[in-house]
Amino acid sequence: MTDPLETERPVQERKPRRSFELEETGFNEVPKRFRKFYRRWRGPGDTLGPNEALCPVCKVVIRSVKELRAGDRVYCMPCMSRLELVEEDGMLLAKVIY
Amino acid sequence: MADFLSNYSIQKWLESCPQGYLEDTVYGHGADEREPEELLKNEQFREAQIRTTVQLIAGERCALAASSGLINAAPDAASKTFLATQTLDEGRHVEIFTQRLFDLGIAQDDLESTIKTYINPNLGKFAEVLLEKVDKKDFVAGVVGQNIVLEGMAFSVFEMLHATSSDMNPKFAHTLAGTIADERRHVGFGENRIGELIRRYPEKKPEIERMQRDMTKHMLATFHDSFAASPLAAASPSVAPGARKSAGTYQGLNLAEASNEEMEGALSSVVLNEFKTRLGRIGLEYQSPV
Repeated sequence: MTDPLETERPVQERKPRRSFELEETGFNEVPKRFRKFYRRWRGPGDTLGPNEALCPVCKVVIRSVKELRAGDRVYCMPCMSRLELVEEDGMLLAKVIY
Repeated sequence: MADFLSNYSIQKWLESCPQGYLEDTVYGHGADEREPEELLKNEQFREAQIRTTVQLIAGERCALAASSGLINAAPDAASKTFLATQTLDEGRHVEIFTQRLFDLGIAQDDLESTIKTYINPNLGKFAEVLLEKVDKKDFVAGVVGQNIVLEGMAFSVFEMLHATSSDMNPKFAHTLAGTIADERRHVGFGENRIGELIRRYPEKKPEIERMQRDMTKHMLATFHDSFAASPLAAASPSVAPGARKSAGTYQGLNLAEASNEEMEGALSSVVLNEFKTRLGRIGLEYQSPV
């Protein structure tokens, strides 16, 4: 018998996540040790990397050392929001968890 | 929830704010940064800057009264602590924008009369709606009015002012960058704390939505008056004379060519869309004032 949760999980989920080296971006709105995990959103021309999510509350980009996927939970320290990533229309969006 | 509320600590605020982005600043900007000489020498532009700055002071005085007034209405210690840090943020904003008036040549003795001369009456009405909820110690309505409506508006206005000043007035842009960073925490608190409380007290929704509608009406009237009253300052609020041609863009508008009506439309559209989105996320329906 096959576990339904296993079969429903996308094939992509079983692939190992890519790793990323985070460098400082000049973001200074959180304590120094956390600064590399955030960057400023540069507006409509900006794009998110596979390890990034945009906080819908304060418009700061959250960065991870690992590729992000739907179902992941991330924390936006500048506005102290807890977020969960969901996939809508093929795009990864961050939703606030209240 | 207990772990989440523990994020609202004085220690975290200290590390992020005074020991973070405000380190080495003087009244929110670099010690060697000054208002552009060209702006100070042109009376028409200087007056326009004074008018804009007076509205910022009035808005921040309202935020200071609201955040301090809500401390005793807060239902838990963590919210009281957060509002204590927000009260200091708002007090700082009042101080740095007041200092800007002095930098623009207003004498200390003329401060209150200058504010009285230039304040937009609709901004006063906007504040009255909010402070009525605060006076009644209505925490949920007060935080929606303060941290979602007022701060949501301030967030967008500061971003517009920052976009129009970053090239030509680095001192003002630097001051605004610090206030924008503060606003991120304030809107975050509003959404996260109220997002949870509004689910617990759904009966409060109609009253809060009425408050939002009234505040929105006065806000739009303030925008309209501000852009109409001060043509030069409205479209390019913080640049020096002759500098508009090199100003940047805001919401796709070329600031060198945008009319006041276009700027008013762009700002109003951004703020109203933000209201709809933020209110929708916490389970409230945006009410149009029209």
